[in-house]
Amino acid sequence: MIRVQFFGLLRLLLRKESVELPSEPGDTVGRVLERAEKTLTGPIIHKLAAGGVLNAGTIILVNRRNVLHLQGLETPVNDGDTVALFPPGAGG
Amino acid sequence: MKNGWNGKVLRVNLSTRTCAIEDLNMAWAREYLGGRGLGSKYLTEEVAPETDPLSPDNKLILVTGPLTGTYGAANGRYMAVTKSPLTGTIASSNSGGYFPNELKFAGFDLVIIEGKADRPVYLKIHNQRAEVADATHLWGKSTNETEDMILREFHADAKVACIGPAGEKLVRFACIVNDKHRAAGRSGVGAVMGSKYLKAVAVRGTGGVGVADAPAFREAARETFRMLRSHPVTAEGLPALGTAVLMNVINQSGALPTRNFQSGTFEGAEEISGERLAQTYLKRNKGCMGCVIGCGRVTALSDPRWSGNGEGPEYETLWALGAACGIADLAAITKANYLCNEYGMDTITAGSTVACAMELYQQGLVTEAETGIPLTFGSGEALVRMFELIGTGEGFGARLGLGSWGLAESYGVPELSMTVKKLEFPAYDGRGIQGMALEYATSNRGACHVRGYMVSPEILGVPEKLDPQVTEGKAGWTKAFQDFTAVVDSAGICLFTTFAIGAPQVTNLLNTATGLNLSQDQVLAAGERVWNLERVFNLKAGISPSQDTLPPRLLQEPLPDGPMKGEVAKLGAMLPDYYRVRGWDEGGVPTAEKLATLGLV
Repeated sequence: MIRVQFFGLLRLLLRKESVELPSEPGDTVGRVLERAEKTLTGPIIHKLAAGGVLNAGTIILVNRRNVLHLQGLETPVNDGDTVALFPPGAGG
Repeated sequence: MKNGWNGKVLRVNLSTRTCAIEDLNMAWAREYLGGRGLGSKYLTEEVAPETDPLSPDNKLILVTGPLTGTYGAANGRYMAVTKSPLTGTIASSNSGGYFPNELKFAGFDLVIIEGKADRPVYLKIHNQRAEVADATHLWGKSTNETEDMILREFHADAKVACIGPAGEKLVRFACIVNDKHRAAGRSGVGAVMGSKYLKAVAVRGTGGVGVADAPAFREAARETFRMLRSHPVTAEGLPALGTAVLMNVINQSGALPTRNFQSGTFEGAEEISGERLAQTYLKRNKGCMGCVIGCGRVTALSDPRWSGNGEGPEYETLWALGAACGIADLAAITKANYLCNEYGMDTITAGSTVACAMELYQQGLVTEAETGIPLTFGSGEALVRMFELIGTGEGFGARLGLGSWGLAESYGVPELSMTVKKLEFPAYDGRGIQGMALEYATSNRGACHVRGYMVSPEILGVPEKLDPQVTEGKAGWTKAFQDFTAVVDSAGICLFTTFAIGAPQVTNLLNTATGLNLSQDQVLAAGERVWNLERVFNLKAGISPSQDTLPPRLLQEPLPDGPMKGEVAKLGAMLPDYYRVRGWDEGGVPTAEKLATLGLV
């Protein structure tokens, strides 16, 4: 299974902290997002990316590693991995 | 005047109880803009660097920027500039709300407070009339009570900045609270006010703020509004979740300092996150004057142990009172946050000092005989109790009131104080974010995040994503962030606007408001000028470049867990490069050539 966690606005919108999805061969962050969206009550991808490119400020971590330092939406996701989704947010 | 500045300075001598109105030094205003820059210029001209911060010779300067009080976006900011009693460095603490605009509406750009009263007083400003009034009846009152009493006896529409009992008792991290819930928080500016027996500054102003080119300024402001309202951070993230949205981000990134920096992840982060606050005590968001972001948190606490109403906690507070102390008790944190506001003390240093005390207790150096309660990591009850003691100056609270450096040093272990230049770190571990390590080491007021917020590129990916563990290039980024932030702090707008707008927009706002015709490079040079001015003051005050460093824990003890496990702060790989890009010599001293370029000699 792959655990997808929702933070920030996504959690407020979905009223859900996480979902678990069965893993599939060749999974990537992008494919997991598409599958997650189908199981949810509301769309999520538009909060994170547009045209296959992450929005400025979007943070997606696979096992706590930022995908921007891996392969972006093409980052491989394996069974047992955790994908954390943070729409743009900031503070200080 | 119709160019952002009012052109007037109010000078108040508390020793003689006299108020005088002077013309603003316009040459300085053009060079240093306002706020942090202009206040620092006046301070460095009028206060000797070696001055004892709590002596009558120190001055307290409350200073607005040329954009404060205009209808440009998020313009409700002012700075409290003085020499810090916590660090001995130059201090400039920023706050928003409604008080800053009111100062402008009263017709002043800055208020210089000097000397010392012989008994408690407060300053009443009604447009161009100013008076030093008795405040004996206000002494000892909380910030909330003080403001309410002043509004009743002075003017119902006045705006008030005041100190609480912590400032009166010279707690070294006392803050100045305005509009009840906003604070010029860091560096102990409230203790300077307390040392002068000045309880409050109350202002009623009914004028306006003119700008040089109204149609062009209106268009510049509109562009800013459009950008703030369309950027996901300023339009959605900050209004809905406030700064506390960062708790889970920073924890998952492995850079959330936990238990006095003993680790970089906190198992209780979810319990003290912005998401959790939104599901529990949050009632609504709130903005300062003219703000379309509204990051403020209006909260109501209902818990079997405590209840109350107020604002906050925001991210830094949730961290300092939470993860730093190993506390996952949101009710205790919210209660302790309210106490900080009412006593008038900086939440970051207050929480970090208790965290330090908890480690001293863990090591057996502090005992329950001193504290009256087991001071164990994770105890929300102990946190609340310690804050009560600090605010009232009772018992162990008097030692905590020195800040973590003074506390740890008094037990012979200053290395357990998580500070740079005696100012406590905020909520990001430099071992997990290398640019922040450099920013902390070099900031002119000590370990501060709002002098060059490298978290933005290194973690949040704004304006672009940098690898937090790469050291190459971080010196240039840090300098650029520091200089631009100095501009923002001097202009009178909120730093949070810069998640959406950049130097072109700030330059446009400044030019159309002031009538100056500065290039973007000239605006950034003004920021660099401010940075170097502060640096030179600190050097003369005896803060040597050897203090551009970090506690041994960050330099030598690798993070024990999380995605940044094994990392230390690689300061040595960045600091020489930083001195070079700053145009300073190898020892960290600004060269004569650099100072001449900036017009500082």
